[in-house]
Amino acid sequence: MSKKPTAGPALHKVIMVGSGGVGKSALTLQFMYDEFVEDYEPTKADSYRKKVVLDGEEVQIDILDTAGQEDYAAIRDNYFRSGEGFLCVFSITDDESFQATQEFREQILRVKNDESIPFLLVGNKCDLNDKRKVPLNECQVRAQQWSVPYVETSAKTRENVDKVFFDLMREIRSRKTEDSKATSGRAKDRCKKRRLKCTLL
Amino acid sequence: MLTIGTLANIKHILQKELFNSSGERLLSVVTVTKTFKKKDKRACYLCVLTTAPPVPVVTLCLVKQYEQRDSEYKRKRSWQLDEIKWIDGRNEQFETHEFDIQLEKLYKWYALNLHERQNFLAVLNRQIQKYVRGPRAEFRNVPQAWLSEKSPEKIAAGREGRAGNVTQKPTNSDDEEDEEEAQEFTALTDKEANELGKLFSECDFAIKDAEQFIEQLSKELHDLDGANMQSVLASEQKVLKMMEHIDNAITEADKFETRLDTYEDILGHVKETMEKIGGKNAMIEIANNNNIKLMKELNKVISQLDLPHSHQQALEDPDLKTAAGRKAAIAAAQCLQQAMNSDIDPALLRLEAVQDQRKRFEKWKQKFSTTVSRFLNNLFIHLGNEIGDMPLTTTELVLPNHSNVHRELTPYTELMHWSKAMDRKTYDGLMRVYTASLSKIYDRDIRNFFNLAKLQVSDKLRNSREDLDMSTSSRKSAVSTIPYGTLGINRDQWGPGVDSADRVRFDALLEKVLAELEPIALQEQLFCINFFQMDVISPTTKNTQTTLDMEKDKGVDMSQSFNASTASPTSASTDAGGVPQKRIDRQINEEVRKLMMGLFSCLEPELVSFIQSFERVDSFYSLYVLVRLTQHVMSAQDTHSFLSMTFASALVQVKRNFDRFMQQQLQSIKEAKLPKRSKAILPYVENFENFAQTAEGIFRKSDRRTDMEKWYLQLVNAIFEGISIHSQEHPKTPSQVVRMENYHHMYSLLAQLKVPGLDALKKEAKIRYNDALKAYVTQYFGRPLEKLNQFFEGVQQKVAQGVKETEISYQMAFSKQELRKVISQYPAREVKKGLENLYKKVEKHLCEEENLLQVVWHAMQEEFIAQYNYLEERIQKCYAGAMINLEFNIQDILAFFSDIARSH
Repeated sequence: MSKKPTAGPALHKVIMVGSGGVGKSALTLQFMYDEFVEDYEPTKADSYRKKVVLDGEEVQIDILDTAGQEDYAAIRDNYFRSGEGFLCVFSITDDESFQATQEFREQILRVKNDESIPFLLVGNKCDLNDKRKVPLNECQVRAQQWSVPYVETSAKTRENVDKVFFDLMREIRSRKTEDSKATSGRAKDRCKKRRLKCTLL
Repeated sequence: MLTIGTLANIKHILQKELFNSSGERLLSVVTVTKTFKKKDKRACYLCVLTTAPPVPVVTLCLVKQYEQRDSEYKRKRSWQLDEIKWIDGRNEQFETHEFDIQLEKLYKWYALNLHERQNFLAVLNRQIQKYVRGPRAEFRNVPQAWLSEKSPEKIAAGREGRAGNVTQKPTNSDDEEDEEEAQEFTALTDKEANELGKLFSECDFAIKDAEQFIEQLSKELHDLDGANMQSVLASEQKVLKMMEHIDNAITEADKFETRLDTYEDILGHVKETMEKIGGKNAMIEIANNNNIKLMKELNKVISQLDLPHSHQQALEDPDLKTAAGRKAAIAAAQCLQQAMNSDIDPALLRLEAVQDQRKRFEKWKQKFSTTVSRFLNNLFIHLGNEIGDMPLTTTELVLPNHSNVHRELTPYTELMHWSKAMDRKTYDGLMRVYTASLSKIYDRDIRNFFNLAKLQVSDKLRNSREDLDMSTSSRKSAVSTIPYGTLGINRDQWGPGVDSADRVRFDALLEKVLAELEPIALQEQLFCINFFQMDVISPTTKNTQTTLDMEKDKGVDMSQSFNASTASPTSASTDAGGVPQKRIDRQINEEVRKLMMGLFSCLEPELVSFIQSFERVDSFYSLYVLVRLTQHVMSAQDTHSFLSMTFASALVQVKRNFDRFMQQQLQSIKEAKLPKRSKAILPYVENFENFAQTAEGIFRKSDRRTDMEKWYLQLVNAIFEGISIHSQEHPKTPSQVVRMENYHHMYSLLAQLKVPGLDALKKEAKIRYNDALKAYVTQYFGRPLEKLNQFFEGVQQKVAQGVKETEISYQMAFSKQELRKVISQYPAREVKKGLENLYKKVEKHLCEEENLLQVVWHAMQEEFIAQYNYLEERIQKCYAGAMINLEFNIQDILAFFSDIARSH
């Protein structure tokens, strides 16, 4: 009966990234409201919040659905910064969108300055397998390179939609507990990663 | 080849068959075939016709003979004579068969008979000469002789040397003019011919000597006259003698007549006597028949009214306690009832003996009825007390079942039916006693039952209250009067409420109560209908009158009481005759309901008070009570039964409460006041989530959904209105932010609710949210480059006034120096600081809950870049070539953004 608003459930911030038209909003709406919207309308930025039960624990998920097209990539910095976990979405029917994930990945790592940030590579539109342009093994190879999970989803059939959000939340949660355990150790790690990053650039 | 005879024959036939009826006369005919039709050699007839004088009209006519029926002819075509242009005989020789006639077209004919052809052409020529006034048809290649005055028949006859049997008239005139008339002969009938022959044979000589004949005739006449005179004179004597004879005859006849009169007199007497004797005989027969009938009738009456001694005894002293005694008593009672309702002629009822017997019956009936009444009375009271003494269960929520009472009473059902038919007063009295003693029990049961139920409600409440008190501790000193769940009031000001688990328990409790009530009430109703025979319609008064009561209202009541007493329950519908089934049902329902109302008098108030007990505990009670009760009312098969009616009336009250509750919610939104230290989300927007989820949980699968949806619409509309009003009143936060965040919240809520009726409002919320976002970004965000913007607004004004863009720099106020001055006020460092401040301000405005910071900041970044681009574009347009630039470029801006991002 008594819920103190201050002591709310844990909050996990998820950012949807990926090229325009790959189905970021469709995945979000399917996850949020169990609905699939056929009409395509480019998103600027939308924020959603939902209470879910993650492994028996009530948590809140904040989803920031972002624009696929952006005049200046730097505009994204701010919300990448605010994100705790990322769903990097491409369409398996669109090779360009797959190539674009590389850029997104790099920007996120740069902004977050963290190689092991919770991150899922998501191949959407898997219901359109007959129009597939991106071979499955190519996706898997890339995910392996980044050492992130790869999941194929369909916002239309709801296949794996819950899975990607819940998997990401689990990663975020485990990262948070890890962080709180050893904050000092992390700092060193980060420096190391940053250096690694610099050489890449 | 046809002969003239056949020609005449044809002529005769055609005249008879075709033309007599139209009054036309056939002058000439020729049998022809069409020359060009080699195959169709069927003959047709070309005729010349005339109508009767005085104005004869002559026509040419083509007649055909039907192939199927030889005797039938048909007129194919006819032409006027002046339609004939010319006639061509082909050849002047006699043996030519062909001839042509030019009418509207050329007709080529082949005459079968040369004589016919000749005759026809001649007659045609003559008629044309005679009647055609205008240009006459030309005859070509026709022998001149034919066209002369000679009769063609004569010529033909002469040439052939045969006498044409054309006419039978002896005076056949050769005169041209009369020839037509001559042809119109009248045959002598056979009779006329005979007469004429006879005359000729008798007066053979007369022809030789007429004078002598005359003389002879006058002489004969003279002789005849003489003879006549003589015979007249001789007859006078005879006449006198004759007269005398007649007189004699008359006197004789008179005598004879008087004699006949006397005979007749005598015969008249005999007849009278005979008639009298016959009448007597008939009377005797009738009397005999009547006696037999009377005997039969009396036998019937006696057998009907006879009540065996054993029955009499059973009625006098019935033993109702034992099954055998009951059986005897019931049999006797039914026998008595039958006897009292026996079908006896009303006239016979006047018999003293019948009346005596009736009085005896009446006595028995009275006695028996009193006994039964007393017995059942005691039984009812006893049963009532017996159960009343039984202890009540005080722990379990069960309504006790009284089927044992029903079992106890079932053997007496027939006695009850008898008493209903025979003694209405007793029946009514018994029914009252039954109601009184059983209602006591039911009253007690129901009160106890509902008390238990209410206790369970408050028990649960107490438990949850305790939890509540523990958790909220003593912080709340005064108990708030604001009902739990009020939309317009902040959550922490609500009075105590219950959670959804409690609500589910309450709903289950209500369901249990309703489910318990149903079988008990139904069982009792079924028993009552059966026991009191309520499914048979019966007149309310004077039911006890039987067919043996003859004094008053005999005709009216007899049939009714008879029906009521003899009809078995199953045949009730058929026996009721003229009364429509529906009305009977209604009447029966009415009576049953009245009885049930007596038995369960406290049910409705108790039910209502039970439902009200929820109200005290849970302001949302009306929602699920409405749904639950509706289910029960709808699933009831007999919508007119007592229980259904009771439930229905409770339902009406609950619906009223439901509407009132919703109305209060609506009002609370309209009257909502902003709490001082509140953040952007308004209380009713926040509370609506819980409210809608509760309501949806209750109404999701209910028939009552539409009721709720109606209120959803009103509530959400009120919330939208409230957001618009309250956004203006917010102390710290800008109204755009209040609107943006609240509409965003509402949109998200409505999208989760998925109530189809609210789809339009969901879209509306999204639109309003976007509008508010845009308004906030463009208006509140303002312009970090304020002076630059002002400068170029001035430039724009000049341009609008007609100054060319390239000449702007020559204006004093907008010279390059001025621009440089303004630009110098915005070094990159300053701009960055401005943006950082803006970011902080936005962060402060927005609330954590809606998580719109990133969305807003995204929009603001775009807006800033758009402004920068605009300014750059203006500078390039108006100050081209001056090498003036802002002190920062797009890369700087993006770096600022990245820095801001990194610093948070």
